[in-house]
Amino acid sequence: MSTTTEISIWTRRPPFSVVLGLALAIFIIATSLLSHYLAPFDPTRMAAGPRLAAPSAAHLFGTDEFGRDLLSRLLVGGRLSLGIGTTAVVSGLVIGGLMGLIAAFAGRFVEAVLLRLIDVLYSFPDTLIALALVAFLGPGIENATLAIAISLVPFYARVTYGLAAAERAKPYIEAARLAGIRSGRLVRVHVMPNIGQSLIVMGTLGFSSAILSAAGLSFLGLGVQPPSPEWGAILASGRNYINKAPWILIFPGVAICLTVLSFNLIGDSLRDLVDPRRKGRS
Amino acid sequence: MAGRVVMPFLILKRVLVACSTVIAVIVLSGMLIHVVPGDPVTAMMAQSVSATPEAMAEMRARLGLDLPVWQQVMLYLTKVLQGDLGTTIRGNESVLMLLLQRLPNTFALAVSGLALALAIGIPLGFMAAVNRGRIADTAVMFIAVLGVSIPAFWLGLIMIQLFALKLNWLPVAGSSWRNILLPALTLGLTYCALVARMTRSALVDVLEEDYIRTARAKGLREHEVLFVHALRPALISIVTVVGLVFAYLLGGQVIIENVFSWNGIGRLAVQAMLERDYPMIQGFIVVFATSVVIVSMLIDILYSFLDPRMRQK
Amino acid sequence: MTKHHLRKVVSALLAAAAFGTGLSLSVAAATDLTVARAVDADSLDPDKTSTTQSLQMTNLIFDTMLTMDKDGSLHPGLASEWSMSEDGKTYSFTIGDGLKCHDGSTFDAAAAKARVDRAIDPATINPDRSLWGPITGTSVEGKVLKVSLSEPYSPFFSFLTGIQAGFICPSSFATADFRPIGTGPFKFVSWTRNDTLQLQANADYKNFNPLVENPGKPHVDKLTFKVIPEAVARMASLRSGEADLVEPSLEETAELKSDGAFKVYAAELSGQQVLAAFSWKVKPFDNPEIRKAIGMAMNRDAYANIAFEGLVHTSNCPVAPNLFSTDEELCATWGAKYDPDGAKAILEKAGYTADEPLKIKLVAHKLSGWDQMHQIMQQDLAAINVQAEIETREVASHFDHMTSENKRTDGMPYVWTMGMSGVDPDYLNFLWKRPGFVNMGLNEQVDTMLDEQRRLSGDARAAKIHDIEKYLMENAYTVPLLSPGWNWLMASSAKVEGFKLGFMVSLLFNDVTLKQ
Repeated sequence: MSTTTEISIWTRRPPFSVVLGLALAIFIIATSLLSHYLAPFDPTRMAAGPRLAAPSAAHLFGTDEFGRDLLSRLLVGGRLSLGIGTTAVVSGLVIGGLMGLIAAFAGRFVEAVLLRLIDVLYSFPDTLIALALVAFLGPGIENATLAIAISLVPFYARVTYGLAAAERAKPYIEAARLAGIRSGRLVRVHVMPNIGQSLIVMGTLGFSSAILSAAGLSFLGLGVQPPSPEWGAILASGRNYINKAPWILIFPGVAICLTVLSFNLIGDSLRDLVDPRRKGRS
Repeated sequence: MAGRVVMPFLILKRVLVACSTVIAVIVLSGMLIHVVPGDPVTAMMAQSVSATPEAMAEMRARLGLDLPVWQQVMLYLTKVLQGDLGTTIRGNESVLMLLLQRLPNTFALAVSGLALALAIGIPLGFMAAVNRGRIADTAVMFIAVLGVSIPAFWLGLIMIQLFALKLNWLPVAGSSWRNILLPALTLGLTYCALVARMTRSALVDVLEEDYIRTARAKGLREHEVLFVHALRPALISIVTVVGLVFAYLLGGQVIIENVFSWNGIGRLAVQAMLERDYPMIQGFIVVFATSVVIVSMLIDILYSFLDPRMRQK
Repeated sequence: MTKHHLRKVVSALLAAAAFGTGLSLSVAAATDLTVARAVDADSLDPDKTSTTQSLQMTNLIFDTMLTMDKDGSLHPGLASEWSMSEDGKTYSFTIGDGLKCHDGSTFDAAAAKARVDRAIDPATINPDRSLWGPITGTSVEGKVLKVSLSEPYSPFFSFLTGIQAGFICPSSFATADFRPIGTGPFKFVSWTRNDTLQLQANADYKNFNPLVENPGKPHVDKLTFKVIPEAVARMASLRSGEADLVEPSLEETAELKSDGAFKVYAAELSGQQVLAAFSWKVKPFDNPEIRKAIGMAMNRDAYANIAFEGLVHTSNCPVAPNLFSTDEELCATWGAKYDPDGAKAILEKAGYTADEPLKIKLVAHKLSGWDQMHQIMQQDLAAINVQAEIETREVASHFDHMTSENKRTDGMPYVWTMGMSGVDPDYLNFLWKRPGFVNMGLNEQVDTMLDEQRRLSGDARAAKIHDIEKYLMENAYTVPLLSPGWNWLMASSAKVEGFKLGFMVSLLFNDVTLKQ
């Protein structure tokens, strides 16, 4: 294991990729949060400009098939995509974290059963779990978010279990146990503060995956429904203009790419610090 | 402590784990029908004229929906273990047959995609590890991260536009061997990043091992150290993650099959998802999971043969 | 009722003469044609499916009892002669001589009887059962098939020209596994669902269809249908020459039209009508005034020109233009006129304001052009204080969903859209007579009128159909939107010659040749 060397890079100075990732992420989050002030037009207003107008001074990113301003749609869509990502990551982290902690502290039998279950789910690509769930739940923004959250659960459960199990082996836990402190309190008071930071770091790793899943679901028509300007949905509805108005296809794709890239850049450098399996997962 | 005894035991253990995983997946997918909001039969019944109360009751019985939940799940498990994945809602065809017909197409694409991902990813990862900390490393790793950040369906559309239309090099859609190139390339480009990253960290690990230092200290040439002493053990540890990459590739392939109209189980699944053909979706989950489990089991076993340390454990 | 007796015989001599001249010269050596479509057939059994995509395929394998020319006149099909008894309850069809099924078996009156019996057998669960009419029995007298009805059913002849009424050979359903064996221009070779359907020209084919010139075997030898759902990939396959003929994306059709390397075909005889309908059992849509206001808000010109890229026309009747009795101008006087301000006033009077809008669902299926139309519709409704949430499904599951939705009498009100096609306005009966297609049937009064039009013919029937249309529109049970609306466009490379689109967007490949 080479974790020590990775950490040493960190203590010297943050790598360029992290700086770039952070800068990008801050830019994207800020523009999305401020989208209602920044957007030059109402993102759902049709005929804000001519149909399928190429990027110009009036419409920096051009207009779509209804004459809606693409820049405004991307800005507001960013808030939607980030919202889905955040909700999914937080819920996934809470459920997965609880599962992982229970597996680590609720006795051998529970541990064996839960671990098996987590490993089964973990062997599935998360996009696929989300896809299968949406197929049963039905399309729409709430169901898509729920499905993506659940798709992240195995990953977070696995990570939390790994961290908690490592913590469990430490002498102070043994001592606390002998002192008669119950598992619940043990986890709350001792384990959580120690692994919380690592868990938050892992949260960023799930984020990029959530954004990609959301875009994929929308692209297949199973996610966010029109006229919501979710990036994947813009891409999906504009893809037939690939010859006539390629900007409808290019800009949302770039937006997804940059967002995912920024979180991957941050997460990648942090991953090796905390991932017990140290296996690539984006 | 003879390795001869341990080896078969290890394989048996792997097989048992794989079996239990498959059973767990079957149970989970059997339970999925209960997350359908409302009445699944109403939601999936075919066109109105045939949706008589009798037909709906028959469908309910066919799916076992009139039984208590645990019995339904047991029934589903028993059926699936006997090779009966049920029939599709539309067309009333055998789910297993439909899936098995398309499985070879899916594997052909996945293997081609994996081959390309390895062919591109391993040299990139190698390059990065050797130049660790230098610009080449940063550049390669940046490209790798960029690779996993591009939505595959978007890349696919752009590849179609570029290679099929503008350059007219490769055909777009269908399931002949020539048609495999574009989707395989899209998959390869998307997942080579994962391979590059793993190759890099495996090689970095190996390069820190004492015997490499010894080799260097003994004055072996650098390329000899790298290709003879470092690459082999690094490749062995890459084998372990190939299973994971394969699973991810299969997952990403679901969307790619739809973009390129590749007639695999992914396209069948999305079609079924859009039509809410629940037995088909469940069947897909089971077959997909079984494929993933078998592949990772085989890779685990292969790995234990390759790695001398594992053999002695 | 006037005596209705038509006789038409195709002159074999004439046909042979036509074959001997010019036409055969353009026939190249073995030619293969590849066609790319967005959606595959869901079945090749015409008694198991009612989607246009399926019937387009079955119509290549199976012939119809009768055929129809552009002007709506009847022509022979498998039946060389046909007649209806004076009371309109008995039909006779003389089956032509020497008709061969693809497997070599003879197609005769007994085969035709077996086919009709299967179509009306409740065990078949035929989605188009009601279109076959009130058949009570069939019998064979020599070469003649006799069909008895419980009451007159005047659309019967037109129905028998349509693609829903393909005559399958009895060997198709002799075993439990359906095999597509017919008498049509193409023989079935193989089918990989959602991938490829292969057909082969029927060397023994004799054409009846007046829309087709080629009297015999199609010039194309092998016909391959590929399914390419992704429009970008489908268009690329046309442009790169992988496919000769494709369903174009609406977005690129205008470009193809102006490009000399391609040809675009639009069906004139689609018989398709796109409609909006209401949850009229659910408040406040039980109030015809509110329904009318919704109709007044709909900017149908924008749907046609923007959502459908100007490739379709607005249409005013509940039945498609060009069908028997349809009078667009007359319908325009019954329907709601585009008047968003007036509509908003009605909604406001009913208590729906910008702050407290009427919340509804807009339930629709996914399809190119339709998706865009619903987005514009949503904006139209927002302008009159109606907040609509779009809910889309795939075509088949949309209709499943509507089947249960249309039973609902409380909960959230909804507007929904659909398309219907046929060769006769009798599809009003299929849609609106209780229980109706996806339970959209209305009431006793409509049922009675719908039954009456089936018993009438000529002007009397036209007048009755107008009464029904007037009732549907004045009470705002439906808002007619556009025609056509789906699958009506095809595009090919310029080397494809002689491709035609027939009734209900049937694909006619009989005359197709490839320029080298």
